Amino acid sequence: MSSVIEVANVSKAFGPKVVLKNVNIEVEQGESLVIMGGSGTGKTVLLRIIMGLLAPDSGQITIDGKVIQEISIPELFEVRKQIGMCFQMAALFDSMSVFENVAFALKRHTKMTQKEIAVRVDECLAMVGLRGSDKLKPSELSGGMKRRVGFARAIALKPKILLFDEPTTGLDPVMTDVIGRIILDLKHELGVTSITITHDLKSAFMIADRVALIFQGECLAIEKPEAFKVNPNPVIQQFLRGDAEGPFLQDPPPPKRTRQEANL
Amino acid sequence: MLKLFNQVGGSLMEFFSQAGDFTVISTRAIRAILKRPFDFENLMRQFVAVGVNSIPVVLLTGVAVSMVFAVQLAFGFKQFQAQGLASSVEGLAVVRELAPVITGLMMSGRIGSAMAAELGTMQVTEQIDALECLATDPIHYLFVPRLLAALVMLPLLTGLAIYVGYWGGYLILVNVEGQSAYTFASEFYKLIGTRDLRIALTKAMVFGLIIALVGCWRGYRTRGGAEGVGNAPTSSVVTSSLWILVTDFFLTKLMLV
Ligand SMILES: Nc1ncnc2c1ncn2[C@@H]1O[C@H](COP(=O)(O)OP(=O)(O)O)[C@@H](O)[C@H]1O
Ligand SMILES: [Mg+2]
Repeated sequence: MSSVIEVANVSKAFGPKVVLKNVNIEVEQGESLVIMGGSGTGKTVLLRIIMGLLAPDSGQITIDGKVIQEISIPELFEVRKQIGMCFQMAALFDSMSVFENVAFALKRHTKMTQKEIAVRVDECLAMVGLRGSDKLKPSELSGGMKRRVGFARAIALKPKILLFDEPTTGLDPVMTDVIGRIILDLKHELGVTSITITHDLKSAFMIADRVALIFQGECLAIEKPEAFKVNPNPVIQQFLRGDAEGPFLQDPPPPKRTRQEANL
Repeated sequence: MLKLFNQVGGSLMEFFSQAGDFTVISTRAIRAILKRPFDFENLMRQFVAVGVNSIPVVLLTGVAVSMVFAVQLAFGFKQFQAQGLASSVEGLAVVRELAPVITGLMMSGRIGSAMAAELGTMQVTEQIDALECLATDPIHYLFVPRLLAALVMLPLLTGLAIYVGYWGGYLILVNVEGQSAYTFASEFYKLIGTRDLRIALTKAMVFGLIIALVGCWRGYRTRGGAEGVGNAPTSSVVTSSLWILVTDFFLTKLMLV
């Protein structure tokens, strides 16, 4: 098997609160995996464990054959150079301009000249449709622009793996589609392996080779979109319908009223 | 009773785990000083933030403290008809204690707290995680320039405080108390030698080390959103001021023998 990312039996709890229970995920070379799940089910925690920012309580992560819980700090940084991570809130360096943000890794990890760096930054910004915004500060950008600068920063080093944490949450439907296209573009142009976390079904099915659903800390299904859509599991069907009625919520939802009833 | 025991034990454990964490992080920071890549641009920015921008504060406090001390000395020695001694003791006090300690305390308020607030904000907005993900060790990238800037700038600022302290004493003892300028100049340096200057600068360097490490560490370990960012500077100032005063005592004891 040529899996690039291998999540094996990973569990994580914060104090008494169990967030991930025995999660197993494998992502193959060039594959785009979409992970869905309700808010607060540990999707971000999973990505942070994959990046080595958090240590799992048990289980291990293997990236390109290296177990990241076992390698030394310098080796870990070498592995991270191959990975681009896009944070939920973009996490841009707010003391730097857009240009400096995107150029950050290039300046530190390559021997490129100023000119070559400028060309590469321009390329990356063009890929996310932000050419010409390089002199702005993060505080001058809208939410969608911040995310896209975050993308540009993550792809600057031409990583082999990209991780996206809710790239479309909080954006309007049009911008959501734009971001979905950017992710597809990156996949085609760079041939990257990617994991994308999203709640947005439309963009999920647009970019996914396989879809996974995390529910109560467990990975319910990991399969091709066509199979996922017809999976008989009631939790998955409820999630796909976007309905409050069903096993998905632990607490029962408020009663359903029609609009006329509510206007009484 | 058992509950009290538990609480004391808990706080003690907390204290030791914090101290352990501080030691680990500080060691990593000091060892990272020699690591590549060397970030000249960032270092210059910190030199300006720590050194150049602190000059006004150090000028003012240096003059003010040495003036008030000179007033007290003049008054005190007048009781024994020993006004001549005031200049010598003023020199001793300014060079050995007042300049380094006051500079250290002021800087812990000015730059230590700024470091804690800046790194704290970066921590809660995930910018430090972003650094990690861009294969950059935050300890190397954030701590080292601040640490170097403090190590270099604190002695320089202390030198400045000694210099303006001399003129603060001069203003009071010569212009107000009417000693001769010549006596003041020779008496000021009478009880001190180059060794004392070395003591002052060593102290300043140690204080710089404390300020930068405590400030950066507090910021780096910030948890819990806006409230955490609010607490980081306060606790960094309290911790580093305390350590400045404690190490001042031991350094003085050690280096005077
Ligand atoms: N550093 C942490 N300390 C304690 N609890 C945490 C921490 N990080 C995340 N959690 C908890 O883990 C759960 C999952 O969080 P997260 O992965 O961010 O959810 P999401 O799936 O929405 O991204 C949340 O309930 C959160 O309270
Ligand atoms: Mg999340």
